[in-house]
Amino acid sequence: MTVLEYLEASRLSQWLSISMAGGPTLLALHSVGMAVVVGLSLMIALRLHGVLPGPGIERLPGLLKVTAWGFALNVLTGLGFFITRGPEYISSAIFLMKMALVAVSAALTAWLWRRLAPRARTTAGPPIDGVARTLSFAATLTWFGAVVAGRLIAYLSDLYR
Amino acid sequence: MSARVFQWMSDSPLGAWVNSSAAIWPTLETLHFVSLCVLMGSILVIDLRLVGFYRERCAPAVARLAGLALLAFAVNAATGVLFLFGNTFKYVGNPAFAIKLVLILAAGTNAAFYQWRLRSLVETEEVTRTSIAVGGISLALWAGVIICGRMITFYAR
Repeated sequence: MTVLEYLEASRLSQWLSISMAGGPTLLALHSVGMAVVVGLSLMIALRLHGVLPGPGIERLPGLLKVTAWGFALNVLTGLGFFITRGPEYISSAIFLMKMALVAVSAALTAWLWRRLAPRARTTAGPPIDGVARTLSFAATLTWFGAVVAGRLIAYLSDLYR
Repeated sequence: MSARVFQWMSDSPLGAWVNSSAAIWPTLETLHFVSLCVLMGSILVIDLRLVGFYRERCAPAVARLAGLALLAFAVNAATGVLFLFGNTFKYVGNPAFAIKLVLILAAGTNAAFYQWRLRSLVETEEVTRTSIAVGGISLALWAGVIICGRMITFYAR
């Protein structure tokens, strides 16, 4: 029995699969986390590209921290889904595509956070350069890609509807 | 009376169109989710200011964010109406859908209160008890809207 099969057969997995307080709650919280992560990522990109006139650039690391909390909620709830049907998830191409997009988006967002972090301490930090703008644009694009892939899992595989 | 209206919605050409291709429902759902993210992002930046997560004069940004939130809400409402026509009896009598509508109404009332009493607050760096309450209630209501929206499937007849 593989680790994934062991997890799938566990009592936690059984409870998550049959209880209304389990799977449906995880799915609902996953959606809240998604809206926070993708929504804030877009707002930060719009701010860096000058579409939004505020808040100040020095506020963006704080907003990225909120994004990270949303992402943590997504990881936790996502692990919950994975426990219930791990072997099926890893054999789903659309799920693997979503995971790849999430990994790229998270890496780009972490890189952006690192570049913007010095601006949190002062309003007169280094100017926002093309790298930060490109990172925010690419991260937002890949986050939206992950949302689309996540939604299509229900249609292009039998995993959950 | 209402049963006839729901039946008419279900049998309407619009309902038939939503179900006329296997691609339409997933496309509408994807649009609904994408605009939900735009709506939540806009509201978060406004509400985080109201609760004092950051304090600065940001009236022009809030005005633009409010416009963006309204646009995203319009897309959500339009796609939501199409879902209602496309699978009427999944939503009618569904407690999760009913609560979702009530929460949207409450969030709209809360936003109207902000416009009426607090709009000038973002021209200052001030944070008040009322602004914390309005921002906090808004965040809770919109999170509730998302949660109830996701629960609709599980309470469908």
